[in-house]
Amino acid sequence: MAVARKIPKIMEEPTAFCAGCGHGILNRLIAEVLEEKGQEKNHILILGVGCNCNMNFTWGGDKLQCAHGRATSVARGAKTGRPDTLIISYQGDGDAYVIGLSDTINTAYVNTNVTTFAVNNTNYAMTGGQMSWTTIPGQHTTTSASGRDCESTGNPIKVPEIIAQNFDVAYVARGSLHSAKEINKTKKYVRNAIEAQLNGEGFSLVEVLAQCPTNWKVSTVDANEWLKDKVVPIYPLGEFKKREGRDDK
Amino acid sequence: MKEMWKGNHAIAEGALRGGLQFYSGYPITPQTEVMEFLSFRMPELGRHFVQAENEIAAINMVFGASATGLRSMTGSSGPGISLKQEGISYLSYNDLPAVIVNVQRWGAALGTLDSSQTDYLRDTRGGGHGDYRIIVWAPNSIQETVDLLYEAFEKAEEYRNPVEIYSEAALGQMMEPCEMPEFKERGYDLEWSWDGTDRDHERVDMDQKPIHHTAKFKKIIENEQRWESINTEDAEYVFVALGLPSRVARDAVKRLRSDGEKVGLIRPIAIWPYPKKAFEELPEGIRGFLSIETTDMGQHVEDVALAVKKGFKTNIPVYVHATNQKMPKVKEVIEVYRQLKAGNLKEAF
Amino acid sequence: MINELVFSGFGGQGVLTAGLIFSEMALKEGKEVSWMPAYGPTMRGGKANSVVKFGDEALGSPNMEEIDVLVAMNQPSMEYAEFMKKEGKVFLNSDMIPDDTDIRNDVEVIRIPCVSLAQQIKNLKGANLVMVGAVIKKCAFFEKNFAIETLKDYFKEKGKGNYNEANEAAFLAGFDAIK
Ligand SMILES: Cc1ncc(C[n+]2csc(CCOP(=O)(O)OP(=O)(O)O)c2C)c(N)n1
Ligand code: SF4
Ligand SMILES: [Mg+2]
Repeated sequence: MAVARKIPKIMEEPTAFCAGCGHGILNRLIAEVLEEKGQEKNHILILGVGCNCNMNFTWGGDKLQCAHGRATSVARGAKTGRPDTLIISYQGDGDAYVIGLSDTINTAYVNTNVTTFAVNNTNYAMTGGQMSWTTIPGQHTTTSASGRDCESTGNPIKVPEIIAQNFDVAYVARGSLHSAKEINKTKKYVRNAIEAQLNGEGFSLVEVLAQCPTNWKVSTVDANEWLKDKVVPIYPLGEFKKREGRDDK
Repeated sequence: MKEMWKGNHAIAEGALRGGLQFYSGYPITPQTEVMEFLSFRMPELGRHFVQAENEIAAINMVFGASATGLRSMTGSSGPGISLKQEGISYLSYNDLPAVIVNVQRWGAALGTLDSSQTDYLRDTRGGGHGDYRIIVWAPNSIQETVDLLYEAFEKAEEYRNPVEIYSEAALGQMMEPCEMPEFKERGYDLEWSWDGTDRDHERVDMDQKPIHHTAKFKKIIENEQRWESINTEDAEYVFVALGLPSRVARDAVKRLRSDGEKVGLIRPIAIWPYPKKAFEELPEGIRGFLSIETTDMGQHVEDVALAVKKGFKTNIPVYVHATNQKMPKVKEVIEVYRQLKAGNLKEAF
Repeated sequence: MINELVFSGFGGQGVLTAGLIFSEMALKEGKEVSWMPAYGPTMRGGKANSVVKFGDEALGSPNMEEIDVLVAMNQPSMEYAEFMKKEGKVFLNSDMIPDDTDIRNDVEVIRIPCVSLAQQIKNLKGANLVMVGAVIKKCAFFEKNFAIETLKDYFKEKGKGNYNEANEAAFLAGFDAIK
């Protein structure tokens, strides 16, 4: 029987994202998992620069705004200062995979025991929808007005795959927010990542394919379809890496 | 007991004695020795050393470590300090203490490995984006390097703002006898630091930031001017120099005094906030100021001029002897002074 | 009074070490001292030097200014003679610097065949210490036994104490070369 879930305390303040924005859903998933794990008062969210900056005013837990792209490096420092506190970076695709690619890869490379949530909405949303390395072929953005030309700008970047295939990290997964079913799966990935850190297993990364109706210039309903039909086929979903013996119920 | 210490090692050990808990950096000559020393000393002392993948990551690790309450430091030189500027701006804006060491090399771009002071204007004006400043201290001996580092974390915490140690390649390489102070720790929790419980970080709202930061920097300007004055009581000409060139200037003053010349020296120790008060104390009757610095076009001389124009009603000329990547020699300074006195030098301001 | 000593030669001739040993002696005697090595571009072409200053008063410039004692281990080092004080002393390595080398005539020249002397006592690496011994005898900055003890302590600290006998012999070879 479905039970209406109560709003996590961390999310008492309403989010400030656009209607239908994937960020809002992911905020909720993370808040729920933190509450389930009793970590509402034992985490620091390291905020990248992007639409998630709104969380400075809404997130009901500890948070630290840092420079564009540097959240994982800040997380490395913070984890040193507070080894018993959950250190989570929350970043956009532009933040984690473009300007901050080096920080992200290097944090995975040294396998620091922190967690990164990277919201992939295939564009630089906060600055009004420019092309990102995650922008899908042919996608119209304000800097690829006639559709992304991958010949000259590169193909969609798949950082989870790069990390899972190359580095000895704890956990890597990619989820999507286009349906209730996928949202539930994504929540499981969020939980696994956080558990990995709680167990001291090392670096965990969950990429979350998310709607950005505003910059995709579609309705909130169509955004779900757009995500499912155009984005998901390019970015395979699932878990790419987890420690042996971990059960994933 | 005094022992011979090399400048760069003294920076590292002085910081450790002052309570350094977290260091992250990336190799670059002539700062690398600081990092190499810390790479074995910190694990020995149970503290945290991280070799970062680049300077941007390093300063941002410091940002995270400082926010969570660790006494944190990074260091670099030339291009590396340029890369850290965004991070330094973030530290200051977020009211986070940290210590930054700049062991300067000469020039823009890759420059050279020569000792110099060519980062003066950048470092004393904050360096990154926004209207902020950091406290900048310019030692001129190994002992002073240690003493300043020993104090730096407390000063950074007192004002919740970064402190920079403005060193020079040659100061990092030379050795002098030095007394290392006892190890100290903060010993108490910074109650505003991030611990995951979402406690009060004692920060002001965005719209209050300009007022808050202006007040913070005004307080620093009022309380933190530091300098040393030598033979200025009856001086007619005043040399102004900092760091290693100030030692050359001091020798020149001594020689000229023994020849009956009325010269003095102001040595700024804090170069931000600039010791304007040193100029307010000067006697009437000064005829000129000479900045001696290892820059190309003269940078420090701008601050000298500002201080002079503010401190005196009459328009006293300000000259500069800028020797780019070469350390000035005592004889050379004496000769410049004689030219200046004879009216053969063109004033800078 | 401040003394300015410059030890100069090729990298590997021990000119930094020679300077450091003098610094230790000065420090032990409670004097002010600074040691400044050549660094960066000044070291191009394998040139090395260290400038030691010591005295009873606070030290100013640690750089090469007006040299009292120049120890020149090779020919290129002679270019620093231009910075010497009148009546200063130049100790030159006569195994590598020919006798007909042009030298200003207002300084005292002391020729020490430091390489041959070091060879004779089978401590070729000790040529720099031969020079240290010669300077100590000639200039009498420090007392002989004190100098030897300091030199030994220096190498012991560096974990090279088992060469101390050979190093003392090198020092003495230079010391005795001054009549
Ligand atoms: C150094 C720097 N460069 C550029 C910016 C401007 N900027 C802010 S957010 C952003 C892009 C964010 O995109 P993404 O990380 O994908 O986050 P989203 O808003 O899409 O969630 C940019 C370029 C900045 N803040 N700092
Ligand atoms: S612009 Fe896009 S990503 Fe940003 S809040 Fe709106 S929908 Fe969300
Ligand atoms: Mg984005």
